[in-house]
Amino acid sequence: MIDANQLMARVRARDARSFEALYDAFSRLVHGVALRMLGNAATAEDVTQSVFMKVWSSPDLYRGGSFSSWIVRVTRNRCLDVIRQNSRNIDTELPEDMPELESLEEQLAIRIDADRARQAMTSLPIDQRTPIELGFFDGLTHEQIAERLGVPLGTVKTRIRAGLQKLRASLDGVAR
Amino acid sequence: MNNHDQFLDDVAVYALGALSTSQASIVRAHMRDCKTCRDEYAALSDATLLVAQSAATAPSDLVKRRIMREVRGDHAHRPVMVWPAYLVAAASIVIAVISTASNLSFEGRAHVATAELAQVEHNTAALRAELSAQRRMLADVVGADAHHYIAQQGEVITNSSHVYLALNNLAPVPKGKTYQAWTQKRGSKSMTPSILFTPDRQGRAVVQLPTADASAIIAVAVSVEPAGGSKAPTSAPVFLVATE
Repeated sequence: MIDANQLMARVRARDARSFEALYDAFSRLVHGVALRMLGNAATAEDVTQSVFMKVWSSPDLYRGGSFSSWIVRVTRNRCLDVIRQNSRNIDTELPEDMPELESLEEQLAIRIDADRARQAMTSLPIDQRTPIELGFFDGLTHEQIAERLGVPLGTVKTRIRAGLQKLRASLDGVAR
Repeated sequence: MNNHDQFLDDVAVYALGALSTSQASIVRAHMRDCKTCRDEYAALSDATLLVAQSAATAPSDLVKRRIMREVRGDHAHRPVMVWPAYLVAAASIVIAVISTASNLSFEGRAHVATAELAQVEHNTAALRAELSAQRRMLADVVGADAHHYIAQQGEVITNSSHVYLALNNLAPVPKGKTYQAWTQKRGSKSMTPSILFTPDRQGRAVVQLPTADASAIIAVAVSVEPAGGSKAPTSAPVFLVATE
């Protein structure tokens, strides 16, 4: 069983084996997000490398809580940097030092495999899934999503919330 | 819907990471004093993790090798204990005597060889990834579910999840200009900016348009725009193809 908090404590003490265990547990998540956001395998692997090197070189940037959420946020921000370099207007970064609130156990993120997550995503109605994917993977703000989809801003927000709530409900069987 | 319900909608958009920086700071400030919104954020952050997890794919083994080589190298160079000064001085003298010029030269060559090997591995990984991406693209383009739409300079190819442009005979763009693709989604009256690209010397370009839902796209266009791209087309389209 992986305890990311414990592994990170050992990474701070420069334990390469613990770092390797973290890589094995989270590299699919990091690489998958990068590949989906950037659409380029070579750049996605570069981002994966830079994210994990950041974990190794600056472990204190992680301040506890859900390691999965933190590393996804770091990955997403790196990808937005890359997209920004290609001149798209991006203004949706989440701060990486944001403390994590009470959340599901770390194990949950590791236990949910990609197939199950994809299944949960595809079970969403398209009008909820599309704004969620545009916001998360394309880095669009809700205003940009509304403009792109041609629907009112309030509708976009409501659909995002409804979609996320359904996804959250689909986790209950795994968590309990 | 009352004001607080609207705030909960904002919390959801914030958890997804789709609020602008300024709006995000308003939501963060509100959450400091609102347990309901904090709880909602925690729940929906888990859901956002599921969104991320839906994309999970393993990187090539080379990525791990590159990372672990750096980590182990870094680890090996970190001091594990502090020697007294006299021991450091004595060790320095011993090392200076032992280290002949040929040893240093060998070490230098070894460093160069290691760096070159790392570069070759990096290039190999990049080529492998590129090849893999091209294989996927080829499979999509010739797949049974691919739809081909003829444009003046080539084809727009779509399947259920991707949109590709396979173009030829594109004129070279003037200095300071670039080709830009545009897509129009069902229900939208305007074109949405898509990828910038430059054809090769023969005027050929094969590009994948980033899109979350290929089936929603009803038209694709290409125009010449200022370098860096435009938010709306500033010139007549090179071609415009309906894809439904």
